[in-house]
Amino acid sequence: MTSSNHDITKDLFTLADLGDTAADKIAGESVSAWKDALRRFVTNKGAFISMIIIALIVFFAIVGPHFFGYDIDNQDVSRANLPPKISGLEWIPAFSGHENGVDVYKEKNVKTAYWFGTDQLGRDLWTRTWHGTQISLIIALIATLADVLIGVVYGGISGYFGGMTDNVMQRIIEIIAGIPNLVWIILLILIMQPGLLAITVAILATSWLSMARIVRGEMLKLKNQEFVLASRTLGASDRRIIFRHLIPNSIGMIIINTMFSVPSAIFFEAFLSFIGLGIRSPQSSLGSLINDGYQMLQIHPYQTLYPGIIISLLLICFNIMGDGLRDAFDPKLRR
Amino acid sequence: MGRYILKRIGYMIVTFYVVVTLTFLSMKMLPGTPFKFANRLSPEQLNQLKHYYGLDQPVPVQYLQYMWNFIHGDLGGSFQYGMQPVTEFLMQRFPVSMQLGIESMIFGTILGILLGIISGIYRGRFLDWGMVTLTVVFISIPSFIFAAILQYFFSVQIRIFPVIGWSGPMTHVLPVISIGVGVMASIARFMRTEMVEVLNQDYIVTAQAKGLSTSAVIYKHAIRNAMIPIVTVIGPMTAAVVTGSLVIENIFAIPGIGSQFIDAIVTNDYPMIMGTTELYAALFIVTIFIVDILYGVIDPRIRVSGGKPS
Repeated sequence: MTSSNHDITKDLFTLADLGDTAADKIAGESVSAWKDALRRFVTNKGAFISMIIIALIVFFAIVGPHFFGYDIDNQDVSRANLPPKISGLEWIPAFSGHENGVDVYKEKNVKTAYWFGTDQLGRDLWTRTWHGTQISLIIALIATLADVLIGVVYGGISGYFGGMTDNVMQRIIEIIAGIPNLVWIILLILIMQPGLLAITVAILATSWLSMARIVRGEMLKLKNQEFVLASRTLGASDRRIIFRHLIPNSIGMIIINTMFSVPSAIFFEAFLSFIGLGIRSPQSSLGSLINDGYQMLQIHPYQTLYPGIIISLLLICFNIMGDGLRDAFDPKLRR
Repeated sequence: MGRYILKRIGYMIVTFYVVVTLTFLSMKMLPGTPFKFANRLSPEQLNQLKHYYGLDQPVPVQYLQYMWNFIHGDLGGSFQYGMQPVTEFLMQRFPVSMQLGIESMIFGTILGILLGIISGIYRGRFLDWGMVTLTVVFISIPSFIFAAILQYFFSVQIRIFPVIGWSGPMTHVLPVISIGVGVMASIARFMRTEMVEVLNQDYIVTAQAKGLSTSAVIYKHAIRNAMIPIVTVIGPMTAAVVTGSLVIENIFAIPGIGSQFIDAIVTNDYPMIMGTTELYAALFIVTIFIVDILYGVIDPRIRVSGGKPS
């Protein structure tokens, strides 16, 4: 074996001529982290479709309540409990205006078609459902924004300064995390009167914890890296290092976590409204609509159906989108 | 390990103390009175009632009194049920909730592990894609919506299961499924990730290289190792089960602490709310603690000395 190696001598090799142009060709197109993430996100079909569905739901939540000119509390018992009917789509059983084979619209002598039907007080469910979606989305949005803000600042300070500050701040988090979310939320709601503000604050009170932890972890990981040292050597202040270097570098994790706090906020709103601690009539939210409809589930299932479908779609799409974003921003975590 | 456990117990006590104090304080800040027909009572009668229940004393005195009783296992009497001790109610209703929770956990864990294993083995194929989609759907849909769907189809349309109640095995099916599918989905998802990870490990390649059959590799090596971290998800899962059981008990009229809790909230039954909250908190804290310890015991690769954030 060794002898055969002697046959191969240096002069058998020739130097490949690699000019400047050829060396350049090997390098791919330069892609920023954002562009890279975007490209991965767009190629993820599920996540992309979810984004479109969410956009559609948001669109309808904004314009939907104004379609027919009803208010959310316009009552008229003469048109109570009408099943869904869409003119032109009567051939679809779900939108025929029939219930148990009876044309309820004819029976009650109602001419207008109600796309999602009406509830037991004769309120238009199309208007109420989209208005409810709007409320649920607003709660989720406020809770999430505030959660990002508090979580990032708390986690940032705790992780960046470390030492005693970190120790104290982490002990506080540990104690808060020891209390079940549910207990926290219910106690807070009980103290404040149930309503939009109470729900938002209650959801906020528990959801910032995970954000704070994640940001702290990122800070701990990043703060000892060379680029931070370089920046510090150049005389950058703590504030500049945190806001110009550390947070932009952990933005991927922050976005991913945000995407998961939105559905959990939507869920908690619905949950609280469902057990009667949330939005109260005549206001509507997805949870309270499901609660109202649930009372009539056995006779008029369509009253629960549409809010139920919308909230399920929202939660599913936000979760899929969150997964997609996680894969896009951090391919190492791809499962 | 011993030091770690002591430290954790210390935290548990502090956390629990904070919970008890917080519930006490928030009850003091609650609007409304706990007395039925309070508006029909004269101020004198109200004062007399307040005196009887010790509500006329300054808050710090009430607090100390409460803590003293608490240490002695006395959570006070229910305002709504003629001062019958709260602990009696909880003791009576707790086993029902416990049973519901355990049944749901068993149902969810077993199915979840099975689904996760199958999904992990057939990674990237159609079957896997279907499972992954299914788990996202089940994780996303709130348990009460799922319960409503089940109730509508299986109790109202096809009358297989009773609509409500808690007597006999048939009444357990729908509530257990309603809570269990969420557990199942989370565990399946986690199990799949673990399977995929384990199947890429060197010792699996070694086992295959030795000439072991694929099924032997999967049963003897992959599944066993992938199962270990499942313990970590059971802790957070408990919280989900508690949240779930609260509304599921309400929907199916199950006489557990969840429905009791909602009743207590509606009727401003302070001692009952406090008692239930504390019970929930205690359960949660103890479960997380046990899970953390178990994790260290099961997988010696994890060194607990650093302290894992729980």
